[in-house]
Amino acid sequence: MPVWFELAVTMLAAYGAGIAIGWGLWGRKGADTRRDDTRG
Amino acid sequence: MRIRPVPAILAGAVLVAASGYAIALPTAAGFIEPLARQAQAAIAGEGGHGVSARFATSTGAPSRHPVLVGGGNLSEATRARVAQAVAAVPGVGGVFWRNGSIRAGSGQDRYEPLHCQDDVEGLLRSRSIRFEEGSNRMLPASELLLDEVADALRPCLGAIISITGHTDNSGTEPGNTALSMQRAQAVREALVRRGIPRDGLRAKGVGPARPAEGLTPEDPANRRIEFAVIRTGPLTPTPVDTPGAH
Repeated sequence: MPVWFELAVTMLAAYGAGIAIGWGLWGRKGADTRRDDTRG
Repeated sequence: MRIRPVPAILAGAVLVAASGYAIALPTAAGFIEPLARQAQAAIAGEGGHGVSARFATSTGAPSRHPVLVGGGNLSEATRARVAQAVAAVPGVGGVFWRNGSIRAGSGQDRYEPLHCQDDVEGLLRSRSIRFEEGSNRMLPASELLLDEVADALRPCLGAIISITGHTDNSGTEPGNTALSMQRAQAVREALVRRGIPRDGLRAKGVGPARPAEGLTPEDPANRRIEFAVIRTGPLTPTPVDTPGAH
């Protein structure tokens, strides 16, 4: 397994974890905000 | 402008993967070089004369999983010690010999009798032997699996292995059952030719009655052989299991 592949997989895992955490913290709130924008 | 989350996330993933590749290209050699130096010192420390560690894949990309080359005149015990010493270098991943065998995975004797049973079951858990349509001729890839099965069985005495032949449902039922029996017998004879005692092998054919899990009866992948250990019996070590035995 080449080094570049291991590095890319590790970085993707970190990216995925970041996306998941971000989605958990702000994803729902962001969706609510967008719904508010459609009013009126 | 509203950004759609899924394409944005996917684009980010591609960017991250490309970054990993771009970062690794110029830095991997510098990361691998000290590993190679330490591995060579470990090899010399274990008396691995003529052995070198190649820290690259078959395509030449730097890798931290070395392939050990040379040392054909060394004893198995020395080769195992060399591989374990290389694997113990911090940062080094799995170590392989060029012939494909893994020597660093276990510090125990390769032919320990109690492991034989596990080896056979491990081989047969996810793979099966397949045939050409309407024939008891094995596909070439299955010959390799048979070699591995025979190697795993060889150190064992007393194990009874059931060999079951299967077919798809094309053709008549009696013909398919006979064909599946011929296939099971072909495998048994192939194992006997590889040195496995005929007494420990039981062949039977069930035709299309038991399609493989997840397949429809007409699927050609049903043309296969399955093994099952129906009695382990006392596993008696053969001379190859007990170094020094006569």
